[in-house]
Amino acid sequence: MKQAIYGFVIYIFMMLPPVIVISESNMVIHMHMQMPLLIVIGMLFTPLLKQKFPRFFEKWNANGIPGIILFLIILSYWMIPRMMDEAIASPFVEAWKFISLPFLAGVPLRESWRKLTPFVKKIVYVFIAVLFGLMAWLYIAAPVQLCNNYLISQQKALGWTFLFMGLCLFIYFIHTLFIEDYE
Amino acid sequence: MKKISYNLLSIIIILVFGFLIFFVSTDGFQAFTAETARTKELIEKKPQFPNVTLEDSKEREYSFSEFSGKYVFVTFIYTACTDVCPELELNMAQVYERIPEQYIGEDIVFLSISFDPERDTPETLEKYRSYFNSDGETWRMARIPDESELKNLLDEFGVVVIPDDSGNFTHNSAFYLVDPQGTLVEVMDYKKIEEAANKVTAILEKKAGEKE
Repeated sequence: MKQAIYGFVIYIFMMLPPVIVISESNMVIHMHMQMPLLIVIGMLFTPLLKQKFPRFFEKWNANGIPGIILFLIILSYWMIPRMMDEAIASPFVEAWKFISLPFLAGVPLRESWRKLTPFVKKIVYVFIAVLFGLMAWLYIAAPVQLCNNYLISQQKALGWTFLFMGLCLFIYFIHTLFIEDYE
Repeated sequence: MKKISYNLLSIIIILVFGFLIFFVSTDGFQAFTAETARTKELIEKKPQFPNVTLEDSKEREYSFSEFSGKYVFVTFIYTACTDVCPELELNMAQVYERIPEQYIGEDIVFLSISFDPERDTPETLEKYRSYFNSDGETWRMARIPDESELKNLLDEFGVVVIPDDSGNFTHNSAFYLVDPQGTLVEVMDYKKIEEAANKVTAILEKKAGEKE
């Protein structure tokens, strides 16, 4: 319950118009702070939702695979350059972002993670690391402006942060290969 | 057993849902950036070129209707630009050269519009013009001194201009073709010179064919 309250407070905070303006003024903050925070908010809501609807999750997400697929789909979806522009231009897309990231990415991620076998977890790490690698390549190498609302220099910065995050994830993945026995 | 089947069902629902959101949000996997979406929408919407007053490199002032009855090949630039604009204008020069000579000036006019009227005075434009062998007649460079008129035009044609800290602008670029009635009919990729030249020539030939 406490977690849900924290989640709710951050959720409301993120929705304040000045906070939205600041968090979307810079491409890196938009993609690597606002969006992950929205996912975290969803994760904070998860215990409460599980408590309220225990049956639902057991029935529809028995082995965690559906949930993690949903998470990966929503994650990839918000990497489309166009979605960043549309979120700024259209209040509907903005609302869709604020709903989909917490509830269709954050909640299923936390709900599914414990149910997943170590092997599937590894696939998830590699998938995200590769996805981030591709995004890094796209944003750094693109000769044209991908988002009309952001400067090219920001686009490149975003590419480098993707590379950094992807590398971190990959290093963590390698590390899980060695500590698996201790888990 | 029942648990597994729900699981499977839920995976299928999620995959279909995922496919649908991707499909809808990218116009059927066609537009992954706002720029492609914008171009697509512009061509469908066919906006009218708003009535603006231009001031060209020869310090002549006239409204856009000066060009009525002719196709106008338009680009948006600012002369202090160091990256995209020179490339855009060099490519425009190549399109200009590829259009059959009999149409130039008669059926089509080239026009580079500056969205930085403060710095791009007629003298600056005159100098800039010479870099690209534009003659100032059949290929004119002009600014729109009136700010509200300029803003209106940029909005209508979907040109997004963002000033950055160092006095430069980040902006999207394309070739625009406005028909003799002042309607935007084509938005073309400025990197595909050959394609743009062929398209424009075909349109001009069609128009010439209709006249005869």
